[in-house]
Amino acid sequence: MPDTIAPESLSRLVEPDRVHRRLYTDPAIFELEMTRIFGRCWLFLAHESQVAAPGDFIRARLGREDVIVTRGRDGRVHGLVNRCTHRGSQICAAERGNAGGFACPYHAWTFGLDGVLNSVPHRQSLPPGFDIKDPRLSLARVPRIESYRGFVFGSLAPEGESLADFLGPMSEVIDNFVDRAPEGKLEQAGGIARQEYRGNWKLHHENANDTLHPGFVHESSVSAARADKRDYAAAAYDGHQTHTQMLSNGFGAREWQGLALTGFPSGHTFMGGFYRGGVLAPDRDDPVWREYRSKLVARHGEEKTQRVLGEDRFNNLVYPNISLNAQYQQIRIVQPLAVDRTRVLALCFRLKGAPEALFHRAVRFLTNLSSPASMILSDDIEIFERVQSGLANPEPEWLDQSRGLGSDREQSDGRKVSAGVSELPQRAQYQAWLRYMTTAA
Amino acid sequence: MNAGVETDLKAEAEAFLIAEARLLDAGRFEEWLALFAEDGFYWIPAAPGQGDPLNHLSIFYEDKSVLGMRVRRLGHPRAYSAQPAPRTAHLVGSVTAAPGSEPGIDCETRSSVMVAEYRPGTSPGERRLWAGQQLHRLRRTPEGWRIVLKRVDLVDCDAAHGILAIPI
Repeated sequence: MPDTIAPESLSRLVEPDRVHRRLYTDPAIFELEMTRIFGRCWLFLAHESQVAAPGDFIRARLGREDVIVTRGRDGRVHGLVNRCTHRGSQICAAERGNAGGFACPYHAWTFGLDGVLNSVPHRQSLPPGFDIKDPRLSLARVPRIESYRGFVFGSLAPEGESLADFLGPMSEVIDNFVDRAPEGKLEQAGGIARQEYRGNWKLHHENANDTLHPGFVHESSVSAARADKRDYAAAAYDGHQTHTQMLSNGFGAREWQGLALTGFPSGHTFMGGFYRGGVLAPDRDDPVWREYRSKLVARHGEEKTQRVLGEDRFNNLVYPNISLNAQYQQIRIVQPLAVDRTRVLALCFRLKGAPEALFHRAVRFLTNLSSPASMILSDDIEIFERVQSGLANPEPEWLDQSRGLGSDREQSDGRKVSAGVSELPQRAQYQAWLRYMTTAA
Repeated sequence: MNAGVETDLKAEAEAFLIAEARLLDAGRFEEWLALFAEDGFYWIPAAPGQGDPLNHLSIFYEDKSVLGMRVRRLGHPRAYSAQPAPRTAHLVGSVTAAPGSEPGIDCETRSSVMVAEYRPGTSPGERRLWAGQQLHRLRRTPEGWRIVLKRVDLVDCDAAHGILAIPI
């Protein structure tokens, strides 16, 4: 039983400069993570634009729970566990759609968008005490749902810190994302990229702010982009974005060292941006961008526009399940499926009021970075799988994370910062892991 | 157009599709790339019946220059996701062909394709089968047929996948 893992023995698995292989391989630890991390944290459920109209619904995964996020007739957002309260059948098979409610395919118990049981067949055969309004017969609900500027989070813990406290300074990323929209609104669009890998979920997060791996893992795509002598004027469909994205991993050690890395006690981490070319550069200047920028100036004025567009932070991880890249209108959702199996969803957004061509760039970014055929992510995923295979060996027991250990600087709000080429983000993630895991519910 | 000409066109298209599939199965990606017209595109949508590649993500949507980078990457000694190199067997069938419907397109051919994929070192459960409908829009040139568009609509285009490092 997972709960028999004593906090003392868990605390022995994480040290400042190393973590134990069991964190990646032990199914009992995975089960405990589902309770103590995914059962406790605020997890991204959906964006409000995905359930914009009454009756809209979209499926989500909250730890181990298969959840239907709905917009009720009253305009409220609900999180309902996708399991009939009668005989346990899944009641919604569609990934998203619009419905008046949900009817179980087995015996036709029907539930409203708020999860309340509305009708059952053959009432006369039920005992007199059967009360259709008994809350225990309603679909199980996600205990807490809160939204921050359109990003809807859910928590499986009935009590705990507020979403605002959980996000802490990471709310700035969401603010920046929304402030980039000339109409102050985002709309999820362009589909959802889905990838699955045979490795632990934490491997994704460790990699996201690891600034030393790109020169090695992505060498083949950097090299292929550098060798390209073609005139890219022909490739107008792409604005050279693929080329730029592949080339950007070709920073030298000195350039990576120039990026700041940040980690919080909450496990949230981020790094400075590093896309420097063409339509992805922070100071990009092209007709689409100029049109977009003028619309943003009309909303915010010049000074705030400069501030909003000047924000250049990459892979903003809100531990443990969502990573945001506001300046490219992207998010990634990480769903642990088993100790050695993880699903990654990637989505992009339309900035309402911005030129459509800017949305097309976000779609292109999504395809380049998050498609199963991505020339970048595919090499990361290959490495996650090789790490998982390697860790099947019982020895050695420990994984090193000491790079840059002496150079972390703690600031007054508890955040630690360091120059790039440090494993500071990994250390921050595992300190948070340890705190969650050794705190019993 | 008489029946004989259409039969010839279908036979020509079928021969082209088989030759293309053999290049892919042999891992001769540079020769495969050379089958594309300079303005050619390779597209595998990520949604069933996807209408356009700009407003919705794709699995692949690459013009010849980006496809060229992909092929060059596959030749790199440290393209980890393609090493060891996957082996494939294509089966192309149910071919139909019609004359092109717009300037620059001389033939539109539709077919079904199944691709068995095996990567050495993986376990039996990880062997994969890609399947879908193909559309090739072809241009006749002095050097032979050139691909203006190859579109593959996979039956599971919107599912979660593992890595797809090679073109199929």
